[in-house]
Amino acid sequence: MDCSKILELFQSELVVVNVGPKSFANALIRQGYQAVQVDWTPVAGGDKEAQALIELLGM
Amino acid sequence: MYWIIEKGHYIDSLESLFATTVLNEQPGIRRALVGMATGPAKLILKDVGLVNEELLACSDADYVIVAEADSQEAFEAAVDEMRRVMKQNNAVEAEESYATVADAVAAHPKANLCSIAVPGEYALEEVKKALNAGLHCCVFSNNVPLEDERQMKELAREKGLLCMGPDCGVANINGAALVLSSINARGPFGIVGASGTGIQHVAAILHEAGSGVSQTIGTGGNDLKEPVGGLMMLCGIDALEADPETEYIILISRKPAESVLQKVLDRISRCKKPRVVLFMGCERARIEATGAIWAENLDDCGQKALGLIGKSAEFETEAQLDAMAAEAVKGMAPEQKYVRGAFSGGTYMDEAVHAMEAVIGPIYANNPNASPLQLPDLNKSMENTCIDYGEEEFTQGRPHPAIDAGVRKPAILREAADPEVAVILLDFILTPPGHPDPAGYVLDDVRRAQKMARQRGGRIAFVASVLGTTADFQNIDDQRRKLMETGVLVCSTNYKAAQLAAKIIRLKKEIG
Repeated sequence: MDCSKILELFQSELVVVNVGPKSFANALIRQGYQAVQVDWTPVAGGDKEAQALIELLGM
Repeated sequence: MYWIIEKGHYIDSLESLFATTVLNEQPGIRRALVGMATGPAKLILKDVGLVNEELLACSDADYVIVAEADSQEAFEAAVDEMRRVMKQNNAVEAEESYATVADAVAAHPKANLCSIAVPGEYALEEVKKALNAGLHCCVFSNNVPLEDERQMKELAREKGLLCMGPDCGVANINGAALVLSSINARGPFGIVGASGTGIQHVAAILHEAGSGVSQTIGTGGNDLKEPVGGLMMLCGIDALEADPETEYIILISRKPAESVLQKVLDRISRCKKPRVVLFMGCERARIEATGAIWAENLDDCGQKALGLIGKSAEFETEAQLDAMAAEAVKGMAPEQKYVRGAFSGGTYMDEAVHAMEAVIGPIYANNPNASPLQLPDLNKSMENTCIDYGEEEFTQGRPHPAIDAGVRKPAILREAADPEVAVILLDFILTPPGHPDPAGYVLDDVRRAQKMARQRGGRIAFVASVLGTTADFQNIDDQRRKLMETGVLVCSTNYKAAQLAAKIIRLKKEIG
């Protein structure tokens, strides 16, 4: 497999987008790394049918 | 019973746990639960009798605070205090937050990795968004369908990106400890592993010996199963072989599915860097036929890796363990004869059961992979028993015990209450998002357990190991010291701790 993008990651400064518990982002920041938080919530409030509809509509 | 429902207010599982802990500690609160009204959460509410029609009618998107309290006033005061503590706790370093991955990447174009920990059913969507935005992924979510896992890994391969996990507990990238990893020194060893604890364990041995890791790549426990085909293991080997900072490669997994194993062994045969392979349960000759160094277990894997750079790890010798066991049985009552293991890591429970059953015979456990003897009632240990508190029965609606030390805490006094118990075996796992002081958290219970045993005219031996490094915020040396000062017999590794526990039980049987 072409590993150029992975090697680029290994040689870059790590900047993490954290989708999930804030404590994971904070743990990285405490270690001196950059992390930005995405406040994830279930799409359509967790309603499966609405979620399927949203996906279908490409929203 | 008092309750509050807030529609559309989302908090993640770790926040829920924290809020639940804080609320339960408030005066006038007998028991309480805080979190999203998901299916598993409702089951827990039912189990503890904190439920009514209104709560059952809530959806996954509703936030609920439920408690049995002395009065409405006590409940309100407790909730106010909980909210105050939560606000204080959330006033944290991650000041910027975004609604979507796309927004975050637009604001931070240098973003290069996405850490994803959402409920398993939502993971594929989030991973696709991240991969499509050009981000490598580390997916902590568990319970992801294998078909979803295959899809996300195929997309990652197509794009030349990493997709670590799902169910990836450990990954160290560019020196950063992601998800539940330990903080490790950097060094010449690159690790790809399907067992988070396995990676963390071997990396910790390297750290303790003064070496370290270039990168560690967690594939998730299902990667080497037939439907996923080892996609991330193969990608990880390619990446580490190409990485100039990685001089040696270490691979860790349970024995892969046969079709996957052959593919992986072929790849290992072509690898040009020195490599140590631990595929638990895989025939030694097949590993050695690839030109790799075979490792028997986690300790051996760390030791053989260190051998490549002329170093070695110091583990307790048989003679040292025998001497510790001889000391430990002194003062035990005649009826004390069983070991009870309470684990926060599944890999560690398996390892301990296998190490001990060779010496003391069959052991009851709550995981069929660890032992054929299944414990019928999880709240009632029998004879020699080991329980993995990371199993689903304990973690439904709660984070893993590596983060939430409270999951396992009740085990100590429960096991100690049984006069036939001679040894309580524990593991402690350090990680930046974990409990700030997992050893300190249980010391009071250890002391109380020791007192209970003394009052019965006996003595309980506590045996433990700590997984982590001196670079972890909790510092492994401090954690070990605290345990030792409380009379806990601390071994260098989980395997050694299990060996010691088994030696104590065998010796006790011999002397009666």
